[in-house]
Amino acid sequence: MRPFRRDWFQGDRGMHQGRSDRFHEEPQTSHTCGGSRTRENVVTPPLTAQAASSSPMAMAVDFKTYVDQACRAAEEFVNIYYDTMDKRRRALPRLYLDKATLIWNGNVVTGLDALANFFDVLPSSEFQVNMLDCQPVHEQATQAQTTVLVVTSGTVKFDGNKQHFFNQNFLLTAQSTPNNTVWKIASDCFRFQDWASS
Amino acid sequence: MAERQQRQKCVLPWTYRNEEYSDGGSLPQGRKKSWSSFRGNFGKRNPRYEHGGYKPQPSHFQEDYRNVRMRDVQADVQTRHAPYTTDHKRRVKLHNEGCIQITVWRNKKFLKGKVGENAQDGTLGSWFKIKVPDGMKYDKTWLMNSIQRHCSVPFTPVDFHYVKNWAQFFVQDASAASALKDISYKICDEENKKIPIFVSTSAVPYSVRDKLEPKEMEQLKLTMTKRYDPSQKALDLQSLRYDPDLVGLDIDIILNRRNCMAATLQIIKKNFPELLSLNLRNNKLHQLDGLSDLIQIAPTVKILNLSRNELKSACELDKMKGLKLEELWLEENPFCGTFPDQSTYISAIKKCFPKLLCLDGQALPPPTTVDIDKPYLTKPCEESYKRCEALKSLVMQFLQEYYFIYDSGNRQGLLGAYHDEACFSLTVLFNPTDQAPSSLFEYFKDNRNMKNLKDPFLRVQLLKHTKRDIVGSLCVLPKTQHDLLSFVVDMWFQTERMLCFSVNGVFKEVDGNSQGSVRAFSRTFIATPASCSGIFIVNDELFVRDITPRKTQSAFSIQVPAPISSSGPNLSQQQQEMVQAFSTESGMSLH
Repeated sequence: MRPFRRDWFQGDRGMHQGRSDRFHEEPQTSHTCGGSRTRENVVTPPLTAQAASSSPMAMAVDFKTYVDQACRAAEEFVNIYYDTMDKRRRALPRLYLDKATLIWNGNVVTGLDALANFFDVLPSSEFQVNMLDCQPVHEQATQAQTTVLVVTSGTVKFDGNKQHFFNQNFLLTAQSTPNNTVWKIASDCFRFQDWASS
Repeated sequence: MAERQQRQKCVLPWTYRNEEYSDGGSLPQGRKKSWSSFRGNFGKRNPRYEHGGYKPQPSHFQEDYRNVRMRDVQADVQTRHAPYTTDHKRRVKLHNEGCIQITVWRNKKFLKGKVGENAQDGTLGSWFKIKVPDGMKYDKTWLMNSIQRHCSVPFTPVDFHYVKNWAQFFVQDASAASALKDISYKICDEENKKIPIFVSTSAVPYSVRDKLEPKEMEQLKLTMTKRYDPSQKALDLQSLRYDPDLVGLDIDIILNRRNCMAATLQIIKKNFPELLSLNLRNNKLHQLDGLSDLIQIAPTVKILNLSRNELKSACELDKMKGLKLEELWLEENPFCGTFPDQSTYISAIKKCFPKLLCLDGQALPPPTTVDIDKPYLTKPCEESYKRCEALKSLVMQFLQEYYFIYDSGNRQGLLGAYHDEACFSLTVLFNPTDQAPSSLFEYFKDNRNMKNLKDPFLRVQLLKHTKRDIVGSLCVLPKTQHDLLSFVVDMWFQTERMLCFSVNGVFKEVDGNSQGSVRAFSRTFIATPASCSGIFIVNDELFVRDITPRKTQSAFSIQVPAPISSSGPNLSQQQQEMVQAFSTESGMSLH
C-alpha cells in the first residue's frame, strides 16, 4: 500500500509541474515552477497586485487567478500534510498557525502545544486521500486575508484500529512576504465517515 | 533440613531480592516462593538441584571440586558476611558427589568477586545501590530519564531491576551517589507526590562482577551470528545454554543471569541493532529485568518468543512494555496457568501490549473499540457558552430551512441563502470497483474531484461562482430527501465575519433513475452574517458518496421535517432532537 501511495503523490507532483506551461496567456501573474516547497511549509509564488477594476472581464480574471492559486496551494498542501502526518508526525504542528484549532471527531484541540501533544499521542496513521476539492474563500468573510477552503476525503488506518472513511476540512491562510506566500492551517476539522461501515 | 533453610532465609543480610540472584536458573522445575526469596550468593541450596536433569559435565566438576577446597580457606575470612557458611559448606560438600556443579561454580565466581573487592581493585571499586520505593508503578524510561535530568552528576545505571515493588539499580561513582541522594524527594510524579531515593553502599553488581571475558564474548558473538537470520532480522536464542559451540568451549551462557543477559544485549546492540524478532524460548528465564534493556537497545523488535521459560507473573511482562510487539509467545510459562480462562489471559497480555496481533501463534481478535477517541474529550468553554448556544441555534435553524427548500422539489428558493459571489463545487467519489454502472452518474458532470481532475481550465469552470450559477446547477441535481436526524454538524471556525460549519449525513434519492439509492454526504458551508440576523453562504462544498443500500436501512430513519414556519408539535420535538445531536457532536473554536 505504502509504495503505491508514494508513487501516486509523485505522480501528482509531476502533473503539477507540467501545469505551469498552460498559463502563458496570462501575462500578469508570474508562474515560476509550481511553488517552491520547503519541507514543512506550503509556499507559492506571490500574487502580483491586482488592480482594482470593476469591469467584469477584469473581475473574471481576478477570480480565475484566485482559483488557480487556491488549487495550487491546496494540492501542494494536501501532499505535504498527509505525508507529514504519516511519516514525520512530529513536524505536523509546524503546519498550523499558533492559535489554530483542530476539531477531531468533535473534540477540540487549540494551540500549538495542545496540537503537538495530540499528534504525539495519536497512533501512527496511513492515509489514503481519494478526494480533494478547494475553493478560495470570499474576502467578505475573511476581511482581505487570503484564505482557501480545502476539503479532502478518503480512508485512514490508525495503528491498532480498523480502517475508517474520513472527511477533513481545512482553512488555509496565506502569509505573504515579498518573496513567497506561506500557507498555514487556521482551522482543521476531521471526522470519521462510517455510514457504510462493514 | 527444610526448616533450617527456612530459618536462614530470615537472617541473611544480602539485600538483592531479585529472583535472578537466587536462581542459578538452569533446572526446569519451578519452585515455591520461599526458595526464590532466599538470599545469598551462596548459590542454590534449592533441593531441586538434587533432581538432576542437567547434563553432567565432568570437566566442570573436577575444576569445581578443587575450588571447593579453596573456598574452605577463604570462607573463614568471609564469616562476618555469612553466618551460616559452615553449614552451607557442609551441605555443598555432601552434594558434590551428585551433580550439583552449578552451586559450586557460582561460589567460585562469587568469591572471585569478593576477593577483588577486598583488594580494592579499580574495576570492582565502591558501588552504590540506589533504591526507589514503589518504583514499579512508574514507567522505567520515564523514571530513569527523570532521575538523570535532575541529577547534577551524569551516571550510568547498572543492573536495573525490581525487588518487590522497589526499583533498584547501581552506580559506581561516589559523587553520582551523593548527587542522587540529594535529589531524593525532589522529583514529582504524575500525582505530584515526591519520589524518595535511597542510596546505600553495596557489593559489586552481578553483571559487572561476573562480566564475561573478551574471548567468551567473542565466542558468544560468533554463536549468535550463526543463529541470526538476516533476511528476517530474526535472532534465535532458543536453549542458548546448550548450544554445542558454547558447551564445547565450556562457556556457560545462562540467560537468566544478569551478566549473560547483559553480554547478549551488548552483542545485539553492536551487531543486530535493527532486530525484528527475538526467540528466547527455553532459557529458564525467571525474570525479565535484564531483558528490559532491550527496549532501549533494539526498539525495533516486534516478535518476541518467551515460551517455555519460568516466568511466574504477568508483572514480568510489564517490564517489556516499551516494546511495540506484534507477535508474542508465552506458552509453557508458569504464569499462563494462573488465569481462569483464555480470554482473561489474552486481555491481560493485551494490556501490556495493546498493538499485539498474534499471541502464542494465534491471531488475536481485532480491538472492538476505537480507543483513539476517548482521552481527548475537552470541556466546553464556559464563558462563551451563551454565545455558542446562540450560534448553534442559528446554524440549526439555517440548516432546517435550507434543507426544507432543498428537498422541496424547487431549489430556486435557495437564491436567498447565497451571497452574490458565492462559490459552490461538488465532488463525488467514484469507486472503480463498482460492478454496476455507478448510480452517481448524475453528479459526475459536475464532479470537481481534483485528485482526478487536472485540467486547470475545467477546475475553474466547475467551480460555480455566482448565486445564479450555483442555484442553477443545484436545481439540476436529483431530487433528494435528507435525513436530518442523521446530521452531525461541526462548527469549526468563527470570527465576527465568518462562520464555518460542516454537515455530515445521509440522504435518499426520491425519484429518477437512482430512486431509493442512499448517499452519504459531507457539506461544508462558510457563511457571513447578513443584514437581517441571518447568514449568507459564501462557500459551499458538497461531497457525495454512495453507500450500499443494505447497510443503511437503519441509518435512514426519519421523514422530512415540517417547515420551520409551522409550529406543530412535531417540529419542536424534531428541533429538540437536533439540539441533542448538535450539542454532543459539534465542537467549536472561538476568537
